[in-house]
Amino acid sequence: MTALETDFKPFKTRVEDALANRTLKVAIERTTGTARLKRAAAVSTWPNFAGARDLGRRIKDHVTSNLDHYLIEFERNAIASGAKVHWASTAEEACEIVVDICKAANAKSVTRSKSMLGEEIGLPLALEKAGITRVETDLAEHIVQLAGDKPSHIIWPALHRTREEVAELFRKHHHTPQNSDEIPAMVRSARRQLREAFLRADVGISGANFLIADSGAVCTVTNEGNAELTTTIPRVHIVTAGIEKLVPSLRHAMVLLRLLVRSATGADFTQYTTFHCGPKRPGDADGPEEFHIVLVDNGRTHMLGGDLNDMLRCLRCGACMNHCVVYRQIGGHAYGGTYPGPMGSVLTPELDGLAGSRDLVHACTLNGNCQQVCPVDIPLPTLLRGWREKSWNEGLEPRSVRRALWFWAFAARHPFLYRMATAVAVRVLRLFGEAGWVRSMPMAKGWTSHRDFPKPASRTFMEQYRAAQRRARK
Amino acid sequence: MSLSPSSQMGFSGRPRVGLFVTCLVDLIRPRIGFAALALLEQAGCDVVVPEAQTCCGQPAFNSGASDHARALAKNLIKAFELFDYIVVPSGSCAGMIKLHYKELFKSEPAWRDRAIALAGRTYELLSFLTDVRSYTPAGVSLKAVATYHDSCSGLRELGIEKQPRQLLSNVQGLSLKPLAGHDVCCGFGGTFCVKYPSISNAIVEEKARDIESTGAELLLGGDLGCLMNMAGKLHRNGSKVRAYHAAEVIAGMADGPALGEETSF
Amino acid sequence: MTSRDLILGKVRRALHRDGVEPGPVTAIAESLLSEPELGRPPLPEGDLRSLFASRVTLPQIGGTVCVVEDLRDVPAAVRIYLEEHGTESPVALQPDPDLMQLDWGGLAFTSGISPDQTVAIQKALWGIAETGTLIFHSAPNCATLFSFLPLHHIVVLEAKHIVAYLEDYAVAAGHMAVPRNANLITGPSGTTDIEGSLARGAHGPGFLHIIIVDKRD
Repeated sequence: MTALETDFKPFKTRVEDALANRTLKVAIERTTGTARLKRAAAVSTWPNFAGARDLGRRIKDHVTSNLDHYLIEFERNAIASGAKVHWASTAEEACEIVVDICKAANAKSVTRSKSMLGEEIGLPLALEKAGITRVETDLAEHIVQLAGDKPSHIIWPALHRTREEVAELFRKHHHTPQNSDEIPAMVRSARRQLREAFLRADVGISGANFLIADSGAVCTVTNEGNAELTTTIPRVHIVTAGIEKLVPSLRHAMVLLRLLVRSATGADFTQYTTFHCGPKRPGDADGPEEFHIVLVDNGRTHMLGGDLNDMLRCLRCGACMNHCVVYRQIGGHAYGGTYPGPMGSVLTPELDGLAGSRDLVHACTLNGNCQQVCPVDIPLPTLLRGWREKSWNEGLEPRSVRRALWFWAFAARHPFLYRMATAVAVRVLRLFGEAGWVRSMPMAKGWTSHRDFPKPASRTFMEQYRAAQRRARK
Repeated sequence: MSLSPSSQMGFSGRPRVGLFVTCLVDLIRPRIGFAALALLEQAGCDVVVPEAQTCCGQPAFNSGASDHARALAKNLIKAFELFDYIVVPSGSCAGMIKLHYKELFKSEPAWRDRAIALAGRTYELLSFLTDVRSYTPAGVSLKAVATYHDSCSGLRELGIEKQPRQLLSNVQGLSLKPLAGHDVCCGFGGTFCVKYPSISNAIVEEKARDIESTGAELLLGGDLGCLMNMAGKLHRNGSKVRAYHAAEVIAGMADGPALGEETSF
Repeated sequence: MTSRDLILGKVRRALHRDGVEPGPVTAIAESLLSEPELGRPPLPEGDLRSLFASRVTLPQIGGTVCVVEDLRDVPAAVRIYLEEHGTESPVALQPDPDLMQLDWGGLAFTSGISPDQTVAIQKALWGIAETGTLIFHSAPNCATLFSFLPLHHIVVLEAKHIVAYLEDYAVAAGHMAVPRNANLITGPSGTTDIEGSLARGAHGPGFLHIIIVDKRD
């Protein structure tokens, strides 16, 4: 089954499917386990990483609170470099702009370098509808495309696929597939296959990790080198970028790059960090003749200054999902949105609506590890709690939950009543227990279907304490 | 002379501590409350357990039911604000009072001020004993091999990591084995574990494996909710590992029944 | 109303303002970087050349390094590398004046760079000790694809052009025109996309060999 079919199932079914898939668990753990170890090692060699993290937070906050200034400055400098700057309020508008540029260039084939924004706005589907051949060039996105899947992680989109599955896909789809199923041989096969696509493409589409306001340059980072082959060879280069990607200058970008890369992969720097600024210049031996930048809002201005303002700092490093106990069990597809994991659970209700993603904001233990590893200190648990409050206030919570909490709160506001209720409760609970443990209890299947419940003492603490006080007074 | 709570310390020279036992300890495991009471008295405090205490409101707060959470928070503030300190044998309930009450009262400045004042005097039990009272257990012994799980709220919201280990290191005969993933969530998450039981189960299943592979006989922790989750899983799996709140061990009460062992007390 | 006006309007409503004076904003941005040490890890002890060389040859970065005394010694170092790797196919040489004037002996060159180029030689503008990064700016005599198409990427780097930190490059580059492409290259191409396991030569070069020119007196 592909992730596309999974989309239409309810969250709890997607979760059950994922939990039943032991291969998935192995695949997730191989990649995220390595990522966690490498990140910890990278951070531990930087004595004042905390200071840098705080600086990163302040740089991003400075940009968000002066976004109008930086957008205008970036636009001015980008135009001066020969770029064409487009603005898109919505996902549909952004796709329309990209498709129109492709059509104007008479493009038959486009190459794409991985961009989560592209996924967010639904660009793959829009290109397909326009009859334009799209070739994903990031190795993981290439695997995802061959499998008819969706990305399940923002840094390793194909981490849900084991090497055996990838070998099978390549044998089925590559012109000259690998003989051995060792990973280097598979990588060489993809290199052969995609080299042709790079040369054939009329348009190359990339995202942006940063937009440099004082030069109008667009920064991309990759380890494979596919972004540069995507953007240098075709006649046209299109960048799609969220408006929150701005930074004041190259020096500001350097601080954030250090934080981003360490948090994402545990390396100190990516193999290829490129600043693209405008089209081919007179005398240049290569480079695109047209350079377009599409600045995309798609809900970001709605987050600005509101409850989700802090989320505009997000660098899309994926550390929160690598460290999330829930993501590690259910993987990315179960989340159902473009972005999985903690940052996805915060963004999906904003992008797709709260009613359909209510489960995401609740399926979290609020243990705080995501915020701790976030390179820009986004208070993800607080933001998720904010969504829960909204869900409660909008009446989206099930009636059973509302009623149970109402009773609990009512009793807890009346200590005398509460004392009586709890004294009765422990006596009732004890009826279900034997040898210290309750193995099964009505209304508590959520607990007892997987674990035993400790049988309470015969009297509550308060009963025993009061009795002791009375004895002491006598 | 003002009648502020701290001025009352002058009379006996001993701080007046309000002990908030938490709703789970009250209901499920009163022994932890009595261990806390004994430890605080040994640490030179006058301890009172206010009758009006119920629940800190965390389940409502984490469910998004802020109105309910606010009502319970007001209840707790009223019950405890006259003490020099409020001490809680749980990092997550202490964190709720210390960090989140003020968020709840964003639009009620008078209550917000009271919440902030209380927050400054609120402590989790084990960190209160070491950081405020410089308490060291004496004459406590327990011949056992144990491992320690750091509950997330205590660890990340309140920075409690060294304190329980320091206290436990003074228990003679007790050796602590490191737990792989000691700082990784056990999958309890309050109402999470019953709302999403299968995810919670998958998480605690891994935790139980990590605990088993330490070879320890005892699992110790500072939060009853997490302990119930882990001990309940271990017991379901047929494990021999027994669980105690660290306060019970430090108070010399670990010769009694462990969590889930038949008890009337 | 254009989308540009719509977006800027929404941004300004969210920020509760009609417009902004650029001066103060730029000043705040600058003040954020007033303590450069805050934004970067401390560099270990040692001269920049050895720091650079020890970083770029770390297994996780995967470059190889040799040092020659003079630019004139570069062709010999290239020959040794090519012999070691058993490659005899013609080499693409960046039309950089420093490289062009060298005596390459009988080495065969291609006229440009081909899609299946085996070896390309380039000269880096800077090296960065902090990260083991090489920097190239696109220009009429510096095609970007020289860094991405070949299997073996051989780079000549003058030790005097090795700077300590990424910011030192940013400051140095700030004095010249912004290039169309600034490529910061740290090791050969790699991917961890299959099971998180590292494999080289995903799309770009599988090998990165750096010849450091260091005039020692």
